[in-house]
Amino acid sequence: MKFDMDYIAHHNALTETNPYLKLFITIFLLVLTLALDNLYFDIFIFIAMSIVILAIAKINIRSYLKFLSIPMVFVVLTCIFLIFFFGKGEVIYETGIFGIVVTTDSLHYGVYTFFRVIGCLPLLGFLALTTPIAKILHCLETLKVPKIVIEIALLMYNTIFIFLNEIDTMQKAQETRLGYSTYFGSFKSLGALASTIFLRSLDKSETLQHSLDSRGYTGELPVYVPRKRED
Amino acid sequence: MLEVKNIKYSYNSDYQALKGVSLKVEKGEMVALLGKNGAGKSTLFLHLNGIYEPDEGQVFIDGEELKYDKKSLLKFRQKVGIVFQNPDDQIFAPTVEEDVAFGPLNLGLPMEEVQDRVEEALSRVGMSGFEKKAPHHLSGGQKKRVAIAGILAMKPEIMVLDEPTAGLDPQGVVNLQKLLKDLNDEGITIIISTHEVDLVPNYAQRIFVLVDGLLIAEGTPKEIFAQPEILEQANLKVPIVTELFQKIEQEGFDMENDYPLTIEEAKDKFLEMFNKN
Repeated sequence: MKFDMDYIAHHNALTETNPYLKLFITIFLLVLTLALDNLYFDIFIFIAMSIVILAIAKINIRSYLKFLSIPMVFVVLTCIFLIFFFGKGEVIYETGIFGIVVTTDSLHYGVYTFFRVIGCLPLLGFLALTTPIAKILHCLETLKVPKIVIEIALLMYNTIFIFLNEIDTMQKAQETRLGYSTYFGSFKSLGALASTIFLRSLDKSETLQHSLDSRGYTGELPVYVPRKRED
Repeated sequence: MLEVKNIKYSYNSDYQALKGVSLKVEKGEMVALLGKNGAGKSTLFLHLNGIYEPDEGQVFIDGEELKYDKKSLLKFRQKVGIVFQNPDDQIFAPTVEEDVAFGPLNLGLPMEEVQDRVEEALSRVGMSGFEKKAPHHLSGGQKKRVAIAGILAMKPEIMVLDEPTAGLDPQGVVNLQKLLKDLNDEGITIIISTHEVDLVPNYAQRIFVLVDGLLIAEGTPKEIFAQPEILEQANLKVPIVTELFQKIEQEGFDMENDYPLTIEEAKDKFLEMFNKN
């Protein structure tokens, strides 16, 4: 199964819920979690938000686990580094290799960072998995976030999909011709892919500019707020 | 009415994409621009609403010369709508309705009016109900229709379509042809670039043939497809129906220099031949 966050955001039980509410809950709880800095609260938030995501938004568990797994790799790596290489204070464990030690300080850092992230991930997940990006951007717009930031985010967001599609197609084409069959070949193919993507993006951005101009683009993206209709 | 006078355009000093193109399309006409890949069709199209400014030559719309200041450009871009070949190049908004609303909003119309236009345009192309969908979740044919709706919502007088049938499935092509025909009946001038010679005689009242940045022929489909030397120069061929009748002629049936171009014409011709015998 392919993990498509955008598709999930459009198709879950909370998609149509007021985005301001979701944004507010997320930001409020994020600040609270970070401010309290309490291990038990972190775990509580993790469990509570996971329940919300799985039971209320009805997002399937495999997608959710996939969502968690990617940042989790980084968290685990970061925390291992924190525990072994940072902090001063009393030494509680000596590895005996190059004088690498674990101190009270570093253990504290490592554990707290880990749980803080564990608490915050489902919070972000709650927003990202249940709210289409367009709605989040509209929210931010009414909350007076600078227009330029929103416009860039919007154009980037859309082009990411074209970009990913393009990479996907090209990679398949390379694989078809055995571009990744050897170790050395993989590097070469990946390099070629990266440079082609770069050139192609330049090309695409020009065409996009032309097509925006064709429809009277004035350098500012207008906002469309349709009224709800009865019929 | 749209008129292009002796347009020249170079991308760089070695490569002149358009070498002096002149053409005239009357109001309410539906014309086709034929030419192989790289002939300059897309480049020519981008001149029609002032995206490119020609090195030499002028563009006239309704007898008024195209100027390149901001205000005139907005006016002309409302009059001349271009549907790009690849809908991904055109659709950028996160939802279908926002994308269709983009043009009308740029024209500074009130929200009510914009909403009416968006709904009307989407229903014209058969995409009602997709308003809130994300464009990247649509199929290629659906994206194409959204791209067309985005132009329709600006209510252009002239619609320019760059290879509109490319990448559509056969049923999609039929639907598109019908839509374009309806729009044309309502008075919108339509210019289509294509190399689908089989379809051209169905809708085009006139054909322009572009080869290497030069217009080498113009005329009705009958006139153009009766000139093999022009077709060869442009890497084109006669419609498959016509080819059939040419083959039949080689078997000794005299076609009296009248070769059908469409299925309809072919049917009539066959019936006529059967009745004679």
